[in-house]
Amino acid sequence: MKNVSKRISCYSADTAGICSALYELGGLTVVHDASGCNSTYSTHDEPRWFDMPSRIFISALTEADAVMGNDEKLISDTVKAAKDLKPEFIALCGSPMPMMTGVDFDAIAQEVERRTNLPTFGFSTNGMATYLEGASEAFYTLSLYFSEKREQRADTVNILGATPLDFGLNGSVEAIKAFLTENNFRVGACLSMGASLNDFRMLSEARVNLVISQSGVKTAKYLYDEYEIPYVCAVPVGKFFSKQVLKALEDPSEQVFKNGSGSEVCIIGEGIYSKSLASELLYKGIDANIISPLETDKGVLSQNDAQVYSEEDIRAYLKEKKPKTVIADPLYSFVIPKGTKHYPLAHFAFSGRCYTSKILNFIDREIDIQI
Amino acid sequence: MIKFALYGKGGIGKSTVASNISAILSGKGFKVMQIGCDPKADSTALLRGHKKIPAVLDAIREKGKNVSLSDITYISDSGVVCVEAGGPIPGLGCAGRGIINALEKLDELKAFEEYGIDAVIYDVLGDVVCGGFSMPMRKGYAEKVFVVTSGEKMSCYAAANICMAVDNFKNRGYAGLGGIILNRRNVADEEKRCEELARDFGTSVIGRIDRLKEIEQAEIAESVLKNYAPGSVAFKQIETIAENIVSICGGE
Repeated sequence: MKNVSKRISCYSADTAGICSALYELGGLTVVHDASGCNSTYSTHDEPRWFDMPSRIFISALTEADAVMGNDEKLISDTVKAAKDLKPEFIALCGSPMPMMTGVDFDAIAQEVERRTNLPTFGFSTNGMATYLEGASEAFYTLSLYFSEKREQRADTVNILGATPLDFGLNGSVEAIKAFLTENNFRVGACLSMGASLNDFRMLSEARVNLVISQSGVKTAKYLYDEYEIPYVCAVPVGKFFSKQVLKALEDPSEQVFKNGSGSEVCIIGEGIYSKSLASELLYKGIDANIISPLETDKGVLSQNDAQVYSEEDIRAYLKEKKPKTVIADPLYSFVIPKGTKHYPLAHFAFSGRCYTSKILNFIDREIDIQI
Repeated sequence: MIKFALYGKGGIGKSTVASNISAILSGKGFKVMQIGCDPKADSTALLRGHKKIPAVLDAIREKGKNVSLSDITYISDSGVVCVEAGGPIPGLGCAGRGIINALEKLDELKAFEEYGIDAVIYDVLGDVVCGGFSMPMRKGYAEKVFVVTSGEKMSCYAAANICMAVDNFKNRGYAGLGGIILNRRNVADEEKRCEELARDFGTSVIGRIDRLKEIEQAEIAESVLKNYAPGSVAFKQIETIAENIVSICGGE
């Protein structure tokens, strides 16, 4: 049986990605799911839940409502909540049960919008895709709706693809902003940590977009098509690679990543982050490549990198390639061959709050990994 | 591009009407795709001379993500691109969910763009029994729904249910009601009943098909009327319906 995780965790799902992307934007997010599932999306997958309020609700879908197609309950409850809470927009997203009964979220969103006069978006998430796909759809949909044509500012960079699912709450996103500011850039929108809905309105002011995870790629492509804003996919980690990122922001046609065969180090994780870290190691003379078990833009991976999704394929790849060290979330220890060193680098979307002290901030700083 | 769906009670002749309309539109220069939305996978049988083709869900079951358009389409002699959604193993699974999967797969493979389709016919099983069978009338799919009925009581009853479903979905941006197609069974007051049905839902009877032998004979010959009896009364009646549908759907 393929794609079964027997010993390792699996990544957060698409619905969690939507909730995370929209968390700080002042909207009302309603997940159409059974009662009791709220914690899945808003606490287990959301470190901000304890300190920062957000309006994330579960519709408390019952068996009878699902079987009878009682969409009206979801619609009227959402409309009532919107009248009480006065959000800036409404997002409706799905889960496995409504997927099975074929709930039409776009149509329900249209109905809710008609009754509330609030921008309402339907997301047909079903828990089968990853958080990156969910967050990507959320960023893209809101960019499509709220971005407006503004005068471009030569010094401005947007940051696209920021969620705690990839960066935790360890100061990495703030460090990226500080790094850009220190290097004479003005940070425009940041989708979407330390952000508001206004960030979407000012997207077109930027001269270039810095895409720090796959969840920002679709929006970056849209902004390129719509406003001709070029983009660079990279996270400015390390002292060497961060300089390359600055060069690429000045000239986005420049190739930012370095490619290695991975004889010494193999990094498992989100594609853009892992590739950035591998590039820093290559600048330091360490041969590194990556395994991406998550969807990754083709332009990011080289032929020496692996797009491998299943536990057994990851295990087989490592067994065959025999890297000296694997940098990966602590929960990957179960598939790393004996004799191979494991450097733990936690990823919130994979191990949640289990290893928060090991979600490291490598932005623009010396990386000292003993291989 | 025009996109419309045919609904109606089981056995009323939707697939026969759909296949003949497809062949006629193809003859008039349209690039037509007929999509059977029924687990029996027999909507396009007349177009393909009952030659067996793999249904979309069968292909997905067999090939998973590696399904290509050529695995699930068949070009008929008359140039119609035939697709059958198919369904789960009889007695198991969920047929409605199957229709959704099949139509989403066609979207994913960009079927209309790849074949340069300019007329799409969704031939949908029986009544709008659940979310899956309303899929062809959702936004982005059919723009108009045409209901095939006779004057028989149960057929009119099913037709009224379908019209009500279309009406219920009017705030959702779904397909509107295009009209009623009367497929005569020669029961008493047939014309009157269908006119009444149409009036009740603010639409009209857009065409009538008499109970004619050539239709039955063409079916036995496993052929559409365009090939079997192109000058026949039945052919001309369905041709009129096809022209009316194109006009109602805003085609040229």
